[in-house]
This record gives sequence, structure tokens and C-alpha cells, in this order.
Amino acid sequence: MVKSFKRMSVLSLVAVFMVVLALAGCGNSQTPAPAAGGDKSAPKAEAPKTDAAQPAAAGGLDEIKKRGKLVVGVKYDTFLFGFKNPSSGQVEGFDVDMAKAIAKKIFGDESKLELKEVTSNTRIPMLQKGDIDAIIATMTITDERKQQVDFTDVYFKAGQALLVKKGSPIKSIADIKKGVKVLGAKGSTSVKNIAQKAPDATILEFNNYQDAFAALKAGQGDALTTDNAILYGMAKQDPNYQVVGGIFTDEPYGIAVKKGNTDLQKTINDLLKEMKQDGSYDKMYEKWIGEKPSK
Amino acid sequence: MDFAGAFAWDNVVFILKGLLVTLEVALISIVLSFVIGCILAIVQYAKIPVLSHIVATWVEIIRNLPLLLLIMFTYIALPDIGIKLDPFVSTVVALTVFESAMLAEIVRGGLRSIEKGQIEAARSSGLTYVQTLWHIVLPQALRSMVPPTVSQFISLLKDTSLATAIALPELVHNMSIVKSQNVNYTLPAFLLATMLYLIVNFALSIVSRRLELRRA
Repeated sequence: MVKSFKRMSVLSLVAVFMVVLALAGCGNSQTPAPAAGGDKSAPKAEAPKTDAAQPAAAGGLDEIKKRGKLVVGVKYDTFLFGFKNPSSGQVEGFDVDMAKAIAKKIFGDESKLELKEVTSNTRIPMLQKGDIDAIIATMTITDERKQQVDFTDVYFKAGQALLVKKGSPIKSIADIKKGVKVLGAKGSTSVKNIAQKAPDATILEFNNYQDAFAALKAGQGDALTTDNAILYGMAKQDPNYQVVGGIFTDEPYGIAVKKGNTDLQKTINDLLKEMKQDGSYDKMYEKWIGEKPSK
Repeated sequence: MDFAGAFAWDNVVFILKGLLVTLEVALISIVLSFVIGCILAIVQYAKIPVLSHIVATWVEIIRNLPLLLLIMFTYIALPDIGIKLDPFVSTVVALTVFESAMLAEIVRGGLRSIEKGQIEAARSSGLTYVQTLWHIVLPQALRSMVPPTVSQFISLLKDTSLATAIALPELVHNMSIVKSQNVNYTLPAFLLATMLYLIVNFALSIVSRRLELRRA
């Protein structure tokens, strides 16, 4: 029995040692997200909010300026928009560049920005709790969401589109006539949409977009349909394919700010206008999407 | 499918980093939940008035909740009452709460398997109740609990994957980032994550089996 006790204690020592090692090893790879209670360093004293005990990104533009950095929630797993590059460890994409542009607009310095990862589950609660100042995370503007957050103007025209092989006679949804084979993923709304917009098309459904894309490459169909954001990612992976004809459903992405944070909302809207006028929006769009935005 | 591309060095390292976070969360939660689980079980076993009932109710409530709900609760709902935790700490807290309740039931079963006669003998030879628990009951109970406890640890390790819901950068989370680079990386990325879970959990069950053999 004594022996087994010894063994147990050795085992638990090993376990503790491994924990320590692991913690030390990855200390630097973790985001600077504060641990429990670590937010105390946030400038809460001057925050005239009722939730003064809450950290960081609670509210208006003044508070952001006082804090000295903008905190934005982005996705880390959405290629071309918010994506943590496994090679560089950097988060990059259209959404991230948008966040940098806002930081530059506010501070004159795009590095005064902290990115926090959000998921579709966590983004609205994090905004409402003041963890982040804004959500830039491929978020479609909907009436239901408008009741919880305030949206800026559209920053990316998302919607359903078509992916075809370069040189294909299909230029838009109008070319989807009888006998044209359109590929989609099973059970997705995009399949229902295409059936409505192009009732004559032959629709082939696959288990997922990977299979559908493979089928398109194998010549089993003429076009692949889903959200343009996903299609641009595919076109980026294989330059023999391109997105054509613009979008035929309307699911525009907006930047969300906390309800009532009108000064930040206005700042972003002004910025969007400026960027569209001076061409920097088009440049950013082209950098990630690979083509100019359709007017 | 593009195995060469998916298993590029950077991608593999990135997935392994996710495994490291998974192991950290699991190890910390295992240590904490084991200690707390034992305490909960002993409090119930000792039949302390009121307290034992409170603990029994608590354990029953937690055991009947889905873990995902607890994880999302600690991250999304606790801030409402002023408790803010980052994804890592949230996950550890939720796992510890959940697994300590599961372990409490295992430990309690182990404790109850010790014959009353032994306790009576120990008490009548002059040991106090605490001494009896510590020297007579616990050592025997712990050994009979090894297999169910290890299998609980294995499920704890697998359950860390639920924390993708709150963006904890663990194994499944990093795998989905790797696969989102390219539709052709999907299957390879899944295979790699599967292999890693298998290796770690299989190692755990081998340890469990060896401990059992020693006991026999």
C-alpha cells in the first residue's frame, strides 16, 4: 500500500510538473486577454459607467480614446475575413484590415488595436458586456440583431453568388437555364434560393462544399452556389475558377457597435464613406477578394 | 484532398499548439476536480447534518446539466453578476465544476464499498473518525476507483473540445482554422486531430490498466 501511495504521489508530481511546463511553454502564444481579475489595470476609475468594475471596452469614443486602443472582436477561422494564419500566428483578412483602418481613423495609428476572437455565439454578449468596442466578424445585418446592437453601414456586400470555371458561358444567374447543373450543399438555404431564382436548373446536392467543389472541378456541374465570401475563398485556392454575376440574395455584412454608441457608429460610417471615395476601400477589397467590388 | 498541403509544418505545429492548450486545460481541471470531487464525496459520506444534503443536491443538479451549457454559462452569463473570466479560465471552471460532481459520485461509491465492520473495528481500536477515513477507508476506496476515475478523466479530456464554442484555442478550434484555409484540407485536418486524441487517451487508458493490474 505504501508503495502504491508513493506511486500515486510520483504520478501527481509528474502531472503538476507537466502543467507548469505547459503553462511556461505557451505563455507567450496566448493572446493578451486578461485572466480573471486581470482587468483591474483598465482605466476604470475615470469611466463614468455604472458597471465601473467591468473592464476595458465598455463604451463611447471618449472612453476608447482614453484607453488608448480600440478593441475589436473578429473571427479567427474565416478565411479571407478574419483568419489566424497558422504560419505567422497573425490574424489577417478583410475584417482585420477594416479594424486597422478604424484604429487609424481614431488614433492615427493602426497598431492601437487589440483583436479578440469571437464566435457567432459569443460576439453579441461580448459587445454588450463591454469586452469589445465593435464586432467585425462577417455579421449579416438583420432586423433581429438590430434590436440588440447598432449596425454601421454595409462594409461588405455579402450574398449568394456563383462560382464557375474561367471561360464558362455562365456570366450570371440569368444564364442558369434549363439543363444547367448547379452544385450546392445538402440542406443549405443556398440550394433553396437557387431553386427559386432559377427554377429550370438541375440541382445536385453534396454533403458539404468540399465535395461540391471537388465535383465542380471534376466537371460534374457547371456552377457552384453559396455565399460569395466562401466562393471567393475557393477561387483564391484555385485560380482556374471565378465568382461571376454579383450576388442574387442580399445578406450584407455590417459592423456592430454597442447600442447607443452613436459616436463610434458615426466615426465608422464616415470612415467607410471616405474609404469608398479615396479608393482605399477598393484596394482593400481587391487585396483579399482578388477583384474589384461590384458597384 | 491535399495531405501534403494540410500537413505543412506550420499547420501541424499550429494543431499541436491546440493540443497543448487541450492538455493544459484538461490537466488543471483533472487535478482540481479530483481534489474537489473527493471533498464533496467525503462530505456526503460523513453525513454531516444539512451540509451533506446541500452537497448531495448540488452534485445532483450539476450532474444533470449539459457541460456545454456550463461552459457557455461561465463565459457568457457570469459577467452579468460581475465575474469576468477569459475563455481559458472559464473552461477550467466549468470543467472543474462538472467533473468534480461526476467524480464525487465515483468516490462516494468507492467509499461505500468499504465494509462497515472495518470502520467499527478501527473506531473501537481508538482511531478518530477522521483518522479512520484517512488511514482505513480512503486508501482502499481510492484503489477500487481507479478504472472509473480514469475513464472520467478521458471523457474530461475529450470534453475540452466543447470550449470551441467560446473560442478557446484548443485542438478542435485550431483544427478548424487549419481546415478553413482550403476545402481540400478538411479530411486531413480531421484525421490529424483524431489521431492526437486517440494517442493521448489511449495512453491514459494504458496507465489505468497498469494501475489495475498492480491492484490485482
